Amino acid sequence: MVKMSEEEKESELSDSDDSNNEVIKEEVSLQFHLYIIIFAIIYYISWVIPGFVFWLYFFFPFRLFFLENIGFISLFTNLSSLITLLIMPLVIIGCYLIHILLIGLTTRLIWGITERISPSKSGIIPRNIRSRVANYYHIRSFMIKYGKNTFTKGIFPWLSNWFFNFVRSNKIGKGTTLEESVVNDKFIEVGRNCYLGVNTVLASHLIQGIFGNISYFKIKVGNNVTAATMGGIGAGSEINDNSFLLPFAATPKHSIIKGNNSYYFGLPMRRIFRKKIMNYLDLTPKDLEMNENIDGYKDKKLLKQLKEKETSVDKPEEIFNNKQMLGDVHGNEIDLDNLKKEDLAIDFTTSSAISRVNVKFLIVYLPIFWLSGLIVTIIWYWYSRAQVSSNFQWSFFFFFPFVLFGLLYIFIAGCLLFSKLFLILINLIHKPKEGVFKAEIGDTNYEFWMMRTELKKIALWLFRNSPFPWTDALAFKQLGINMDFSSHLADTWCDSEFIKFGRKVLVGQGATIMSSMVIGKYLLIKKVFFDDYVMVGGHTTIAPGTIIEKESVIGAISSTTFDQVLKPGWIYFGIPARELKENKYAEERRDVIIKRQVAEDKKFEMTYEVNIDEDKKKLLKPKKELKQK
Amino acid sequence: MSVPNTMRVGPFTSTVLVKKRYITFYIFLIWISVIPILLEFWVYWRFLWHPIRPVHFYTFLPLLAFLMYITLVFSSILFAKILLIIINAIHKPREGVFLRIPADRDYRYWSLRNTIKRWPIWLAHRFPFPGFLDNVCFKTFGVKTKISNSLFEGWVDTEFITFGKDVVVGQGAIVQSAVIIGNLLIIRKTVIEDEVRIGSHAIIMPGTHIEHNCILAANSVTTVGQVLERGYVYAGIPAKKFKRNYFFEDGLEDKIGHVEDVEALREKYEQIYTKRYDKLKLKERRELKREKKEEEKKRFDYAADEWEEFDDGFNI
Repeated sequence: MVKMSEEEKESELSDSDDSNNEVIKEEVSLQFHLYIIIFAIIYYISWVIPGFVFWLYFFFPFRLFFLENIGFISLFTNLSSLITLLIMPLVIIGCYLIHILLIGLTTRLIWGITERISPSKSGIIPRNIRSRVANYYHIRSFMIKYGKNTFTKGIFPWLSNWFFNFVRSNKIGKGTTLEESVVNDKFIEVGRNCYLGVNTVLASHLIQGIFGNISYFKIKVGNNVTAATMGGIGAGSEINDNSFLLPFAATPKHSIIKGNNSYYFGLPMRRIFRKKIMNYLDLTPKDLEMNENIDGYKDKKLLKQLKEKETSVDKPEEIFNNKQMLGDVHGNEIDLDNLKKEDLAIDFTTSSAISRVNVKFLIVYLPIFWLSGLIVTIIWYWYSRAQVSSNFQWSFFFFFPFVLFGLLYIFIAGCLLFSKLFLILINLIHKPKEGVFKAEIGDTNYEFWMMRTELKKIALWLFRNSPFPWTDALAFKQLGINMDFSSHLADTWCDSEFIKFGRKVLVGQGATIMSSMVIGKYLLIKKVFFDDYVMVGGHTTIAPGTIIEKESVIGAISSTTFDQVLKPGWIYFGIPARELKENKYAEERRDVIIKRQVAEDKKFEMTYEVNIDEDKKKLLKPKKELKQK
Repeated sequence: MSVPNTMRVGPFTSTVLVKKRYITFYIFLIWISVIPILLEFWVYWRFLWHPIRPVHFYTFLPLLAFLMYITLVFSSILFAKILLIIINAIHKPREGVFLRIPADRDYRYWSLRNTIKRWPIWLAHRFPFPGFLDNVCFKTFGVKTKISNSLFEGWVDTEFITFGKDVVVGQGAIVQSAVIIGNLLIIRKTVIEDEVRIGSHAIIMPGTHIEHNCILAANSVTTVGQVLERGYVYAGIPAKKFKRNYFFEDGLEDKIGHVEDVEALREKYEQIYTKRYDKLKLKERRELKREKKEEEKKRFDYAADEWEEFDDGFNI
């Protein structure tokens, strides 16, 4: 039952004198065969009908009246050709709409079936014991991803509320806007007229360590709640009506936010009051008054009068004069020899985004596109030749979704292959190395680093935009990251060299892993190392040189500093990351959880359920029993 | 590196849709911008289509697809710009504090502008060669920037922003000129001058003015209307002065080093970041430090009762 490689068995045995040889430690085994079947059903149904409509339109009216029309002028004078031209974009939009609606329909059907077998309910799911509940939790997570990505990242993101409500994974009220975010896909209940800004995470499911638990609790958000960017709400939280979160307001699990026109800020969030609100948001007392009595301003005429008054009192605009400020950056007062060590220590983290966009890279991209595109067009020619020459072939339409999927991946694989060849060539000219370099044109190390980064982007980009984003592990492996397929990086910004992953590393959504960093005029490159079973929380920044040892966890919204070493078996949190508590296995769960009133710092206890199969319940030991032992 | 799968729209146009009828503008834009590429395809078809000798047609098809995509982006930018000019003539975009209710004209037009800009920006950002087309979008829609800046790894608002040259916006950083908080929509002009480095996951609020040679560390937030003085490193929530920035000087390659006294650094950070421990638990924290020194304490040693109590406060 327990699948482990030989190597791990040995490490298990060596740990056994730690008096925890009864601890069940089992890697989650994902049921990929089921995932693929479910995905294939959704994909096939959602493409076959729009494909049929599109190609029918393309082959008959469009080709006949438009493409075979010889004169350019007669395209517009001939009525039938003009109409086919004008309708074509509408057919494309229509096919797209049919496609996404069918995704919604099939996802709803399969979601309904899984809910009937194993309903999702609030509680804790042990991650280290195989059970039906955990399996169905994973299946549902996988299933919703394709639909969620197509809707929220597609052409019509406004339909995503409909999608979540239709599939019944979320309840989202009328007039609510959920901006793009990394999770927000299941088990949340959002009221009316809310606004959740970019990257605001309503994490109804949290994983605590590779061998830990999944906390799966419903998040309730009331009416008229707004969260600006990058908030984080833990599982089981309740946000009541009219609470307003400023950027970066995050709260741990099981928090209650009282609402009632209150503002929250900080990490973890605290309520802030009048003076601070006006300070942080640069507001006047009048604005605050308007915010509180919003109902009084819903009359259009009144608003218009108010605005006219406002505009009559024009503020003098500040004009920033750049020229005047140039030249006295630091003056001549800086003596570089007298700088202290701490002045130049890298005790903060920035980013590794490339600092220059070079259009000349397009020249490298074109051959890559062309060569991999050629493979695709040759196969497409072979597939479509019967349909093109003779009149009508059912098989062409039937197999279209599979061909579409296959060709997409052949194209991506081609891009990966050709960029890998280019990369080998570039690395032969200049070997990548670690160190501190000048980030300016003229420095060979910097220029080659840029070239490598740009070259790797295309394959990664395509993999991540494909229906199976987790296949990007393949690209990472080929392009220079030392990892295997047990780790997933699909939801992170990750540099693609000088990184080594152990087994089963779990990287949270929206995290940033950097092996290079641009600080001022300098580029730092240093190796990053993750040992086995490490977990990195969402929106966490990992700086170059970080070493995370075995079975450690870094919490969400934290950051490490340059060259930081994290000890094995600890939970780290904060900016910069510091030890919080020891990382323990799932069976040491507490029987109570503490709910927290954020505004008043009140705490109260409540019990929760462990969702696991009945016959597995004996594996869970109450804490006291363990203690006596 | 490239943007993760769950986050790929990139440039930040809000999906707030005040009136459903704004969608017609959006569909109109899609419709009209597809027509030029159909004409392009017609030209290609006329020149190279031959049912018996299809070699030419299929050989250059990938290049045509590439060209059609770029044409689509530019045609959508063109038509969106025309629409925007008309709409801005009806109602000029302006800074200020507005109400988040449909009765507010500025809020309605802000939403309409975002809806119109969405299609070209979406197209530009989906292109596998990131950055170049994004910057074209930014420039046409009113963000002052240089083509060489890299803004595509984060979210950058598409109006009321000025960038200098050599600016790096980190992965997942958010540069805003409009934010919704409560029932208010705050629109202020954001100015970022030359040679600025913005860390990953940093948030820049509307009205922030970042001067030359500044570095904003990762996971920091500026406040509305904050001015970051030139030549400093800023960090914290909200951002405070961290230290003098010497990293724009020449000849420091050998001197840049890592931190030796990590504990001192932590104390420094404690002061500038919002406190993130409960006051009640200070006692336990001291307890923890003492416990740490006793190295014989191993994992799963249940004799230490304090540990359990310490745990209870943190549901992380």
